[in-house]
Amino acid sequence: MGDAGALVGTPPITVLVADDNDVAQRLCRRVLEKAGFGVLIAGDGLQAVDSALRQRPAMILMDVAMPGIDGLEAMRRIKAEIPSMPIVIASAHSMASDRERFLAAGADDVLSKPFRLADLVSIVQKLARPTQ
Amino acid sequence: MAIVFAVQAITGAGPVIAFPLYLAVVMMSAYRLARIESLAVGAVAGVAIVAVPGLVAGQRADAIAAIILAAALLGIAFAVGELVQRSKDAAAISSRTIDTLNVERQRLEALIESASVGLGLAALDGAWVRVNDRLAAIAGRGADEMAATSLIDLVAERERAALESAVAMLRSGDVTRWDSETVLARPDDREVAVALFAARTASTDAPMLLVQATDISARIHADAIRDCAAAVRQVIAGSLSWEQSMPQVLEAVASHLGWSVAIHWTVDTDRGVLRAREGWSQPGALLEAFLEASRRTVIPAGTGLPGRAWQGGVLAAEQDALPGLQPERVEVARNAGLRSALAFPLLDTGVVIGVIELVATTERVVDEAEVTMLAGIGVEIGQFIRRSETAQALRRSEADHRAIYERSPIGIARIGSEGDLLEANPALLKMLEHDEATMQGTVWHDLLRAYDQAAARHHQAPLLAGISDGGSVQIRAATGGGRWLWLQMTATSIPDSSGRLEHVLVLVEDVTTVRETSDKLAEALEAQRDANINLEKLDRTKSEFLSIVSHEFRTALTGIQGFSELIRDGGLEADEVRAYGAYIFNDADRVNRLIGDMLDLDRMESGRMTMRTGNVDINEVLNEAIARAVPGAITVDFKADLDPRLPVVAGDRDRLIQVVSNLVNNAVKYSPEGGTVTLSSRAEEGFALISVTDSGIGIPADEIGHVFERFRRVRSGAAQSIPGTGLGLTIVKQIVEMHGGKIWVESAVGMGSSFHFTIPLAAEAAAPLQLHHG
Repeated sequence: MGDAGALVGTPPITVLVADDNDVAQRLCRRVLEKAGFGVLIAGDGLQAVDSALRQRPAMILMDVAMPGIDGLEAMRRIKAEIPSMPIVIASAHSMASDRERFLAAGADDVLSKPFRLADLVSIVQKLARPTQ
Repeated sequence: MAIVFAVQAITGAGPVIAFPLYLAVVMMSAYRLARIESLAVGAVAGVAIVAVPGLVAGQRADAIAAIILAAALLGIAFAVGELVQRSKDAAAISSRTIDTLNVERQRLEALIESASVGLGLAALDGAWVRVNDRLAAIAGRGADEMAATSLIDLVAERERAALESAVAMLRSGDVTRWDSETVLARPDDREVAVALFAARTASTDAPMLLVQATDISARIHADAIRDCAAAVRQVIAGSLSWEQSMPQVLEAVASHLGWSVAIHWTVDTDRGVLRAREGWSQPGALLEAFLEASRRTVIPAGTGLPGRAWQGGVLAAEQDALPGLQPERVEVARNAGLRSALAFPLLDTGVVIGVIELVATTERVVDEAEVTMLAGIGVEIGQFIRRSETAQALRRSEADHRAIYERSPIGIARIGSEGDLLEANPALLKMLEHDEATMQGTVWHDLLRAYDQAAARHHQAPLLAGISDGGSVQIRAATGGGRWLWLQMTATSIPDSSGRLEHVLVLVEDVTTVRETSDKLAEALEAQRDANINLEKLDRTKSEFLSIVSHEFRTALTGIQGFSELIRDGGLEADEVRAYGAYIFNDADRVNRLIGDMLDLDRMESGRMTMRTGNVDINEVLNEAIARAVPGAITVDFKADLDPRLPVVAGDRDRLIQVVSNLVNNAVKYSPEGGTVTLSSRAEEGFALISVTDSGIGIPADEIGHVFERFRRVRSGAAQSIPGTGLGLTIVKQIVEMHGGKIWVESAVGMGSSFHFTIPLAAEAAAPLQLHHG
């Protein structure tokens, strides 16, 4: 049981993981659930937008290279609807210029793949606030 | 008579006594008085003889006797009167003749003495008998001196022989008249030109020579002045350069006017002195020495005769010039016997540009006519010098231009207003390898046409219309030797002095090397630019590739690192560890395949991939690929539609298996559960045609053109979760092409995909195939 789910009866803070890679999906789900977060999964950009708008997660962990619309386009659409939605871009495009590009596109933070599990947890803990 | 009458009356003498008295009276009166008077005297005397005695004596004389006496007296008076008259007339006539003769003689004497010509009478040997003053004056001698000389002594030494032979001929009577112009030498060393006429007198007993001498020195001098001017003008007129003609000018002036030396001094304006430029002298070492000394002399303005003539701009003359001569020249002048000198300026538009100095060995009086003439020719010579200098400058300039024209490495054509070639310089003929006639014939007009066409392409005026612009175009032209040249043609119009177009110069330069070099340079630049573009593209491609590869690797590593971290941290269930280990293994395997594929591709693209080529049975390869197809989660039906007669192909069996396996695996990956994958083979035009067809999701139209590019995996829709390195099809295409075949795809979304490729049949297999089909 993680810290986020320590309070019995309190619904867990939900994180949307948008990634087309099933290994990455499994890893994030395993780690974040262990840390006490609720995890939603989206396999591509459109699913991510749809899920974000309908289920209002506390934050979104967004891959970039996805089929259909990419993570940045999905982020733009989501932020257009919910400007306060924290979105962390988690991408294997991890050059310095990419980080700048993502922040400029509106990302609240950037998590480079591969990542340390502790980094994943801490960045999510920092940005995920209980849904009001 | 009255006395006789008185005597008679007084004496009263009778008639016999009175008669002789009366007779005497009558005769005297007849002699003294005119005829009528003497007759009257006779009559009176007659009456008186008879009457007086009667009156006085009263006696009456015999009347008859008286009458007879009176008649006799009358007769005597008449006769005597007549006689006297006659003799008086004769005497008067004679006296008058003598007077006339005397007058005539005096006149003749006066005439001879006062004659402006010299006259003289000489013996046949020339010795003077008589000369008039004039002749003595002409000869410069007194009358007494003349008496001691002969005609021959008077003439100058050099004329003497001619005169002697003339006198000899006159003496012998071979000729009676002789005339000539000669020169008399006077004791005062002056010479006088004379016209000499000698005639042998007609009298036979004592023939003499009548000599007439006329002083013609004035005429000769005037002639000399005139001839001098004419000679100078003639020299000037026939000469182009004053340097060449100056010696002749000096000789003409000096020899015509009787000067011994003539020197041309030029003005050295920089130094302010005169320098002897040319000189002429009569033959003689001493005169030449004077010339030589003059050449070493410089004369400042205002000094000496030349200096004065220069400064004053007018003629200067000295009868005794020695004192005024420059120190360098005095001694030689004295040795040469030089005495008189003059210097006159050579003027051009009022400016003294030189001086001519004349020096004579005699004392020379310069008269007005000579001064006037020298002043005149001074101006003419001055103008001539300036003209000839201008002309020389022009000629030099013309020669320069000619040299440029002749020796210029640039071809120059002079053309008329119609474009016809008037002249082509050697460089142009050499450049175009034609002779002038050929150039004028056709070649030139072809060039002009080419010019106009090229000009039109560059929106320039045609040559003849645009000559004033100095337009320039480059044309391509063949030489007579068949070489092709690039010619740059530039037209320049040359107007005449009135500004009308006189002719046109066309400059023709061979710019072949320049043009070819610049063309090559342009090509090289173009190639360089292309190369740069390619390099940039390559660079971009490389960056993109790196970006994609790193993304692929990091994506794979995300699972490997994340799950291995979970396992390391422990606290997992055994099945969790097993599952995570499988994830790690799969991703590690994927990374490994990725690396392998990349290395393969790199080897193929860089040509380092070696193929083990042999005869390969394609059908066997297809069957093996089906057998090795990954027995994954998806189950598909394999269908083989193989041509059993397919000949072997030439190829690398392992690589061909790689191709087919890749296509089969793709077909399986993208097929739905229970789908069908069909493999077919057949021979077609020397190739084996192999197709792998699936009934899968198909490829969208916008992706189909990119399926063989690296990392262009179809990600959309159902394909998103299909694993792969993204390099498979790229490698397949490379292998097929390395075999000399082709690969392509037909597909539509939802309709499945068909990948086709060809591999050339083995050479020995092709023949039976042709037999089979033939």
